[in-house]
Amino acid sequence: METPWFAKRPVSQVRPGDHAWLAYSGAEERDSVIGPFVLEGLATNEKVVYVTDASADRLPGLGPRQLVDVHAHGRSGQLRVISRRDACLDRHGTFEPAMMLDTLAREVDAAFGQGFRAVRITTDYSWLVNEPGRSDLGPVLGCEHRVGDAVSPSTMAMAICQIDRRACRRDELTALRDAHEVLVEVNPEFDDGILKIVRTFQPDGLRVEGELDAARHTVFAEQLVQVSTRRSGVPRGGLHLDLSRLGFIDLGGLNLLAQHAVALPAGEPLVLDNLTPNVEHVIEMVGWHRLPGLTRGAERSITGGEETSR
Amino acid sequence: MTTSPAGTAASDSFTHRVLPYDGPGQLLAGAVPFLLDGVDAGDRVLAVSRPDRESLLRDALGPAAEGIEFADAATWYEHPSRTLADCLSDADDTAWRGRRLRVLGDPVWARRSRLEVVEWQRVEAVLNVAFRGTGAALLCPYEASLPAGVVAAARRTHPETVRGARAVPNPGYVDPWTYSAGCDAEPLPRPPAGADTLKLERPDLFWLRAYVTDYARSTPLPEDDLQRLLVAVTEVVTNAWRHGEPPIVMRMWTEAPDGVPALVCEVCDSGRWTSDSGYGLIPPRPGGAASGGRFGLWAVRLLCSIVQIRTGDGGSVVRLRLALPEPGAKG
Repeated sequence: METPWFAKRPVSQVRPGDHAWLAYSGAEERDSVIGPFVLEGLATNEKVVYVTDASADRLPGLGPRQLVDVHAHGRSGQLRVISRRDACLDRHGTFEPAMMLDTLAREVDAAFGQGFRAVRITTDYSWLVNEPGRSDLGPVLGCEHRVGDAVSPSTMAMAICQIDRRACRRDELTALRDAHEVLVEVNPEFDDGILKIVRTFQPDGLRVEGELDAARHTVFAEQLVQVSTRRSGVPRGGLHLDLSRLGFIDLGGLNLLAQHAVALPAGEPLVLDNLTPNVEHVIEMVGWHRLPGLTRGAERSITGGEETSR
Repeated sequence: MTTSPAGTAASDSFTHRVLPYDGPGQLLAGAVPFLLDGVDAGDRVLAVSRPDRESLLRDALGPAAEGIEFADAATWYEHPSRTLADCLSDADDTAWRGRRLRVLGDPVWARRSRLEVVEWQRVEAVLNVAFRGTGAALLCPYEASLPAGVVAAARRTHPETVRGARAVPNPGYVDPWTYSAGCDAEPLPRPPAGADTLKLERPDLFWLRAYVTDYARSTPLPEDDLQRLLVAVTEVVTNAWRHGEPPIVMRMWTEAPDGVPALVCEVCDSGRWTSDSGYGLIPPRPGGAASGGRFGLWAVRLLCSIVQIRTGDGGSVVRLRLALPEPGAKG
C-alpha cells in the first residue's frame, strides 16, 4: 500500500503547485486560515478565486477589522467570487465536477493575461458531502483528484480545499485528505527556528515545538495568556498543549506552565498532550504533584486525523 | 535544661532524635517504645531498616507490628534530595489528615562513597529546617560500630539524643545552615587538566545543550540521564546569566573517586551567591512550586546524583555529578 506523504504548511507558505487541504473544526479555525490566504493574495498582486454562495464582503476571515475593499478588488478582477451555480452546478442543480474544472481552468488561464503572478483558489466542499441522499464521495473525490492534477504541475495556481470536519465520517475525511499533497494550517503565533508555537483548534490550545528555555519564556507566557484570553468564558474541557514535537523544556518553563495552570478557571485544567519521553521523564523526576493544575493528556497518537501520517 | 520522655508524643512539635546504640538490646530498648507509642497514638508509623533489623523489630513488637509500615533502607534511602522530598510530602500529607508521621529511620552508611556520606549527613541537618511545623517524629538509630566520624556527625545534626527512656538535648547540635556550610568548607578538587572547557558568551542555551549532548554521548551516560543533565545544566547556566558575573565557564569530565564513576559538569562564574539562597536544599512545599527561584535549584538536586556548590570572593562554582554505570555493568 502506498504510504501517503503530506507536507504540512502554514497558510502563508502555501505556494503555486500546492493542492492543499483544510479540515477545520469550526469557524475560528477556518477564518484563521482562509482569511490570510485571501488577504495575502489581494495584497500581493495575486488573483483570488473563491467558489462560494457567500457575497464578497462575507467571505471567511474578512471581517470588518480587515481594511480591504473587496468590491474594488472585485471590479479590478483580482477577487473573483463565483457562485456554485455558475461554477459547478448543472441545469438541475447537481454538482458537475467537469464544470468546476472548466471554471477553474478558465480563471487561471485568464489570470496570466490580466497580469497576476499567481492564482489562489479556494472553496468549501462541506455542502457537497452534506447533501441529503448523497450515496458516496465518488464525484467529490473525482473532482479533487482532477483539481490536484491541474494544480500540482502549475507554476501559477494554488488551491485550498476546505471541509468542515463535522460534515462527514472519519473514513471519508481520510479519503478526502488523501487526495491532497499539502495540509494547510494556521500561521504560527511564533517561530524563531528554535521554538515554534501554533494555535490548535481540536483540541483547543497550542502546539509547542522545538526547545523552550529562559530565552523564550516571555514569548511563551504571552502566548499562553493570549490563547486563554481568547477562550475565556467558553469552557471547552481544558487548555491543551500538544507537546509531541517539544524536544526540551527547562525547569523555568515547567514552573511557568504550573503558574498558568493555577491561574486558569476551576474545571479548566492545563492538559499536556503527546508528551515526548524526554519531557515526560523530567516532569516525573520533579513530580506531577509539585506541578499542580497540570494534567497528563492524550498519549502520543492520533489527535485530529492527520497526525498519523508523518 | 528540659527533658521529655523519649517515646511519647509529649507535644505536637516536630522531633528529630538520634538513638546511639551498641548491640540489638539497646536498639530495641529505644526503637520499640518509639514505635509502640506511635501505634497507640494513632500515628502513621514507618520503620525503615535493613531486612535483618526488621525481623528483629517484628519479633520484639509482636502483634503490634501489624500497625507499622516497614520499608527496606536500601531502597528508601535512595537519593538524598529525593528521599528528603518524599518523606516531607508524606509528613505534610499525614499532618493534613490530622495525624502525625513517625519514622524510625536507620540510614545506610556502608557502601556509600565519601561524597554521598556528606550529602546524607547534610540531609540529617537541613531536615531540621524542612520538617518544622509538620509535627513529625523522626528517630535515627546510629550503631556504635559505624565509623567514628559518622556517629560524631549525628550528634551535630540531631537536636536530641535518646538515652534509655528519655530524650535529652544534644549539646553538640549545631545550626543546620552552619552544619551545611561546614560540609562545603573544603575547596573542591581542581578539575582535571584535560577537562572539556567552554567559555559561555551568548545566553542562548540551545547551542549549549547540543554541545553537552555531544560530550555526554562520548561517555556511557544513559539517555534518560542525559536529559536530566541537560535540564540541570540549563538551569544552572540560566542562574549564572541572571545572577552571576561573567566570565561563565563550563567544564565537563569523567572521574571515579572512591571507584564511583561519574560524569561531572561544572559551571563557574565570578559572582558570589547571597547568603539567603538556601542552595536548593529545602524542598518547596507541594502547591508552592510556582514560587519561583527556590524550585529550580532544588529540582537540579533531584535530577543529579550529587550537586556541589562553592561560592565566595573567588567566584562561584556549581558542580553537577551524574553517576555513570559501573564499568562492566550491563546497561
